[in-house]
Amino acid sequence: MTVRPMVTLRINGKEVKVPKGTTVLEAARKLDISIPTLCYHEALTPYGGCRLCVVEVTRDGASSIASSCSYEVAEGLEVKTETDTVLEIRKFVVELLLAEAPEAKVLKDLAQELGIKPSKRFKPRNELCIACGQCIRACKEIVGVSAIDFAKRGYEKIAASPFFERSPDCIGCGTCYNICPTGAITLKDIAEGEKAVLPDGSEITGPARIIDNWKVGLEMKRCKQCGEPFAPQFQLEYFSKKVNLPEDFFEVCVECRVL
Amino acid sequence: MKVSGKKDLQILKEKGLASLFPDKTRIMVGMATCCISKGADKVMTGIKEEVKKRGFKANVVPVGCTGLCYKEPTVEVIQPGKPKITYGDITPERVPQLIEAVGKGGVKKEWALYQTEREDLLLDGGYHAYCSKGAAKELKALPKHSEIPFLKKQRKIILRNSGLINPENIEEYAARGGYSSLLKAVTQMKPQELIDEVTKAGLRGRSGGGFPAGIKWLSCSRAEGKVKYIICNISEGDPGIGMHKSLVESDPHSILEGMIIAAYAIGAKEGYIYISSGYSLGLQRMEKAVKDARTCGFLGKNILKSGFDFTVRVKEGGGAYVCGEETALIKAIEGDWGEPRQRPPFPAVSGLWGKPTVINNVETLANVPLIVSKGAKWYSSIGSDKSKGTKVFSLIGEVNRAGLIEVPLGITLKEIIYDIGGGIPKGKSFKAVQMGGTAGGCIPKSLSNLSVDYETLAQAGSAMSSGGLIIMDEKTCMVDVVKYFLSFLEGESCGKCTPCRVGVRRMREVLTDISKGKGKKEDLELLEKMAKLIKEGALCNLGKTAPNPFLSTLRYFRDEYLAHIQRKKCPAGVCTS
Repeated sequence: MTVRPMVTLRINGKEVKVPKGTTVLEAARKLDISIPTLCYHEALTPYGGCRLCVVEVTRDGASSIASSCSYEVAEGLEVKTETDTVLEIRKFVVELLLAEAPEAKVLKDLAQELGIKPSKRFKPRNELCIACGQCIRACKEIVGVSAIDFAKRGYEKIAASPFFERSPDCIGCGTCYNICPTGAITLKDIAEGEKAVLPDGSEITGPARIIDNWKVGLEMKRCKQCGEPFAPQFQLEYFSKKVNLPEDFFEVCVECRVL
Repeated sequence: MKVSGKKDLQILKEKGLASLFPDKTRIMVGMATCCISKGADKVMTGIKEEVKKRGFKANVVPVGCTGLCYKEPTVEVIQPGKPKITYGDITPERVPQLIEAVGKGGVKKEWALYQTEREDLLLDGGYHAYCSKGAAKELKALPKHSEIPFLKKQRKIILRNSGLINPENIEEYAARGGYSSLLKAVTQMKPQELIDEVTKAGLRGRSGGGFPAGIKWLSCSRAEGKVKYIICNISEGDPGIGMHKSLVESDPHSILEGMIIAAYAIGAKEGYIYISSGYSLGLQRMEKAVKDARTCGFLGKNILKSGFDFTVRVKEGGGAYVCGEETALIKAIEGDWGEPRQRPPFPAVSGLWGKPTVINNVETLANVPLIVSKGAKWYSSIGSDKSKGTKVFSLIGEVNRAGLIEVPLGITLKEIIYDIGGGIPKGKSFKAVQMGGTAGGCIPKSLSNLSVDYETLAQAGSAMSSGGLIIMDEKTCMVDVVKYFLSFLEGESCGKCTPCRVGVRRMREVLTDISKGKGKKEDLELLEKMAKLIKEGALCNLGKTAPNPFLSTLRYFRDEYLAHIQRKKCPAGVCTS
């Protein structure tokens, strides 16, 4: 393994030495300096979209505002994580997003932390998706499926299935549901015999998993031993094919397998 | 024909000269998008039919934009031994009478705008004389090219071929000294010498902030890595503005030649020409230019026997405004979402496919052959102290003579609006000029003595940017104008970062309230704060400059905002509450 060269920088006056390629956010965390984040997730490629993690960076004498999650460290870099401008931008971002998704717990918590009250001037929108793109990156980078992507642009930008129709690739793994910071994705498992109508008009009978956002309903596979539904059939087929498993590998659920 | 040296280029040039200045009549019809929208295609067809019907020998040639958009469709006629005559407002109905006169060797004086006795050959030096001096006594009353107010203060070096050559004819381009700069660059100059020359010339990027082109080239040429790219950015998208469109439609080879020289200077073997959708004619002409340049050996392997290889791909974009931003443009070429990313790394270090990349705007590149041929000293003698050369502008809006103009930097706004543009129509008074498109700002009448250069415009809260000049008269409401620009940007924001996606939208909502007489007294303070934070906090220059129209109008027209908020009145009578 090649050793990455080390880079020395200063954050809030404190010197820190980190390997080349580290981001400012990671370096700050090493120093226990807390920077709030929203679209950032340590398992995903940085996006740098929400602008909550902004800091002031000074390089070769020139200062600018940058998102710490996507800014790579450099030798001699000076970082300030709490200048007046930085704090103002963070508050502004939360204030704007709070009007978009007033019910999102993560935003309410951030607002409290930063001392922000909901703006009276902005009409609440009640759109929980704040276009952070975590679901999209997780689906692509972790699951390897890319069932969803952004649709539209500007204010209308939203995570969606292709053409807003039933996603043909979604395996119903629920990674998007679990990673979404605002709870914008609804995932529901319906029980044996329970019926549901999907957005395209088709009917599905439980046991099944329904993800409204991607307009999918997937039948669940039942465990041969305990009889409990344990994962969408389509997902198991996907994994079997991907890693070339024997046909009967997913006949039993994880719990029964352990026993 | 394949050109492998000076001799071949001379042959190509002579062919072009024979086509440009033939021993029979040459009728040139302005056929850029601006002209076609006014019916030039019908005029062209009509002329061809009339010429055929009347049985006289004439070459009817489509050319680019003459710049005289206020007189379009325009037709120019060259007849051996006679001055070139420029006609304006030639509608299809006027064609038979015009061709009748031309067929008889005469001039249709009523529609003639001016005459030209000689054509400067900028790159070679000297000129081509259409006729001996004073040959046309009967045309004494017709003004000379140099006497036309619209043209007097212009300096056409970038537009030297626009409206004169057939943009799809590489020979005609060569006739005007085309590709001689490339020959000089790759056979007589080292890459570093070229970079030094461009730096010395003081060439600055002709879009965005006016970054020095030489420095951009230098950092890319010094960047680590064997594979480097050059990208030509043809994606201006500001509403109502079309300098780049006109340039690529009128003289694509000048851009291509500049690009090949730039590639040689930075050490790129591959390049992309990124043309935004909506440039269908430009795309077609650029594709033809690339094909012809390849046939002639200006592209491909061992260009002009110099050992330098370079290929170009023309890539049509999807039309998003944000794709004019460097990092978004790169992502679009890579086939990804056209979304900007954080810089650094700058494209000169890590650009297309992660390789060092120079992205130059179309007009920046068109300057390069001039600098190579005429030298940095000549080039830097044009323009102002820190802003060298000329700038092409779309002069539009409430102005008598709208058109595509080219002026030396350092000219005053007043000269452009009054001397070139002929002032404001219908006796109304000039109120403000919006410069630099949506990223720019409004400059009021009181500052019309302002020098048009990068620094002065930035200090005044505006920008050069790609070069739009929208003239507004007293009947324009500034709140309404800003509302328009913000709604344009709201629709064009990629939506990646919160300040731009949500902030610009919320600013527009507050402005809409103000324009409807529902503004609150604390709104201006709120908008100012939002503008400041969007400028600071947005990811890319689309967001960072989005508040500029608001900030500049607030600076110069605060009273107008206050009238809407306090008195619920729109002084210009535009907004209805």
